[in-house]
Amino acid sequence: MRAPLTILLFAIALCGCGFAVRALGRTLALPDAPRKLPAKLRDARRPDARLSVLWIGHATALVQLDDKFVLTDPVFTTSVGAISTRLVEPGIDPADLPPLTAAVVSHTHMDHLSFDSLAMLEPKTRLVVLPQDARANLPRYAFETRELAPWQSAELDGLRITAVPVRHVGGRFGVDLAWSPRSFTGYVLEYHGLSVYFGGDTAFDAALFRAARERFARLDLALLPICPIAPREHMRRVHMDPGEALRAFNLLGATYMVPIHFDTFINSDDQPGECGRVLERERRVQQLPERSVALLEIGEQRVLVPRVP
Amino acid sequence: MRWALIALCLFLVAPTATRAQSVDPPRLSPGLAGALWSAAQLVPSPVFVTGSDGVGGGLRWQVTLFLLALGLVERPVRSLVVHPAARHAGAIELYASPGWLCCAPNDRTSWLLQLGGRLYLPLEGRGERLAASLGASYYRASPQHGVAFELGVYTLSSIVGFSVTIAPWLTAREVSTALVFHYY
Repeated sequence: MRAPLTILLFAIALCGCGFAVRALGRTLALPDAPRKLPAKLRDARRPDARLSVLWIGHATALVQLDDKFVLTDPVFTTSVGAISTRLVEPGIDPADLPPLTAAVVSHTHMDHLSFDSLAMLEPKTRLVVLPQDARANLPRYAFETRELAPWQSAELDGLRITAVPVRHVGGRFGVDLAWSPRSFTGYVLEYHGLSVYFGGDTAFDAALFRAARERFARLDLALLPICPIAPREHMRRVHMDPGEALRAFNLLGATYMVPIHFDTFINSDDQPGECGRVLERERRVQQLPERSVALLEIGEQRVLVPRVP
Repeated sequence: MRWALIALCLFLVAPTATRAQSVDPPRLSPGLAGALWSAAQLVPSPVFVTGSDGVGGGLRWQVTLFLLALGLVERPVRSLVVHPAARHAGAIELYASPGWLCCAPNDRTSWLLQLGGRLYLPLEGRGERLAASLGASYYRASPQHGVAFELGVYTLSSIVGFSVTIAPWLTAREVSTALVFHYY
């Protein structure tokens, strides 16, 4: 694998994508196995919670809304695209997941749509929701799959999933960016009066966040990507930095924010830990209360709305 | 081979390489995508051929004439432009594969042509990490022709692979191995 990677580095260097060369160079220097977590959850069900979130890594999070569980962008593999190696093992083993009402996939990039990981979910979920144009090239699985266009909804056992527009880019292999240009989305999950915004992977777009707030007057939680940050001139077209993510959180009017999409794979010039530090600094600058932004470790679960006896 | 790999990589990263100063997400017009796809099809797979005539090297290309995707949720029938998942998740493919042989000990160059079918089988990760293929083809290595059988293994979304083709009934009894590049 090392020889093709070296050639890939050279090819990307010719293209002028310096950050990609640096990211792949750092990936080559990584140990083969991701860092082990000291203690992993074996049971993510929280009887004491109405709303809880477990950050599994990257954009993968397990959201509990009362008795329903939804998994976002399931990726459990040790690498994505056979090149980008995971830094830290997933926060829970797929076999230990509770039964899911649904899993949602925000777009078809390899760090968000993992065929291997979806196979691991076959015994766990009945439904996987995808953005438009994503089903055409999806392998067949045991669960049902549904595509949602922006503002379209799907409902299962009282859980409502609505696709919300975000600002990103489609495709999976480069040229298919042209052939599936709409294959990315965010989602809002609603159940028993609780609502959760999942941004997937998005650049900052005030109009889109305002539009989401107009439709969903009350959001309890916003799962928002905060990285990659650098190089900004390249990343800002498709990714929010921590400051922008906090502005998005404000525009959405959510009660809590859980940052995602950082410190799991190397895909930028960012150093491990940097995104969290910048987020904390920006939170103080923007004068947001500390408790409103839950900066979780991979594998950490937080109860945001406790169940009142 | 090294340059073929580099060329493949260039095509893979080309869309992200066009860094405009705009804050808009990158876009790729269908026309440019078609041109990139066409150019990617010109990237040859290096071939190593052994037969009773000697040993030779060469290059091979492939066009998918028809593909029946067995492992996808939607749109089972594809042609020419084929998403990698349609192949590696399990498929039946009819293909044409022209090739060019050179560097044989007798310094002879010749054209190869394979017209055949192959069955793709997903092995790991719905075939994305590892897939295999079994195939048979009409094999013409000027001036000989006959039937050939093929076995292939593929990785990286079936973009990179390795295949062995045996044409046992040719007078020269050729065996060719190829490092396969097939982008989309």
